[in-house]
Amino acid sequence: MRFQDAAPDARAVVYAGIQADPLVAHVASLLAEGMAAERWLARAVMNGERTDPEPWRRIFPLLFGPAADPALRDHAARVLDASLGVASRGDAARSQYRGAIVEELAARLLAGRATAVRRERRVLFDGVRAEIHPYDVTVESGDKPEVYDCKWGARGINADVLNQLDDARRHAADEDVELAVAIVVFDARVSCELRLARSTAEHGGTWLVALEGLDTLAEKRA
Amino acid sequence: MSSQSEPTSPQPPDVIERAAAAYRALADLAETIEDEWQYVTDLVDAYLPGIRMLAGRDAELELEVVVAVDEAIAEIASITDPHKAIDWLSTFPHVVALAVGGDVDRPSEVAPPDDAAPPEPEPDEDSPFRILLGGDR
Repeated sequence: MRFQDAAPDARAVVYAGIQADPLVAHVASLLAEGMAAERWLARAVMNGERTDPEPWRRIFPLLFGPAADPALRDHAARVLDASLGVASRGDAARSQYRGAIVEELAARLLAGRATAVRRERRVLFDGVRAEIHPYDVTVESGDKPEVYDCKWGARGINADVLNQLDDARRHAADEDVELAVAIVVFDARVSCELRLARSTAEHGGTWLVALEGLDTLAEKRA
Repeated sequence: MSSQSEPTSPQPPDVIERAAAAYRALADLAETIEDEWQYVTDLVDAYLPGIRMLAGRDAELELEVVVAVDEAIAEIASITDPHKAIDWLSTFPHVVALAVGGDVDRPSEVAPPDDAAPPEPEPDEDSPFRILLGGDR
């Protein structure tokens, strides 16, 4: 088993431009250091219709109310401002930005405990046709590699994604490699579990990381 | 003499019931995506009771909380795209719960749908990460 850069197609070239937009890194950086309530704020705003910050400040009194800690309020204001920057890009662009942000966020959290964090990589196995789609994020340690697919919402969980992850896990096992496979979803855990419960694709060996548990990505592995 | 005093803010059941009604309307919009009808139904079954349970809290809600929930209701009421409505079906309950200081996310009470795919291990339970992390989380 080995990792390989994905051959860039036209879609990937366009998407790479979005991934490289400083706004993506800025939002991901704020969310990586933010608390769960700020991540819900970001999800709401980047899903939202209104681009005026005041209604959002009123919707989240925990972050912006008079009782909120000033440091938290200041950080949440930066999350709000950055999220509105994404929301104001329009419906077509924002969906691509949101996906890129989840990928960057996952990579940044993983970088808290791993050095070999890579993006847009394929995994090749002996005697197995290579998958077309690269993995969003990989941790390419020699003994305990990991691959991640990242989604903005639970609606993105589908059989193709689950099958590719599970196939990779099984092919690695055939080569006596313990490949950890996971799906990172910037959505509520319950919504992801409901989605998985209806799926007939094998996913018992796939780790689910939902919005509430994103910080587990940064936890040290044994 | 003084007349009977008016409440300074609506009582919890009022605003929470408004939230539940808005959520139901959001689901009606989301259900127009035929391929997602089952998912929408599952989300409503999971979250609507949780939203209504927020009304069972004893404490009277602060005015800023009522305003927050009404603003969130206004946000989802402005949605016309059913795909966006689906995204909000999982977001709105948590936004309301954060405002109220309650919880709509009780995984232990989210039973698998009756006609769901055959039972499989919970994603985390057999996760290689759980094993590698060496403990319960």
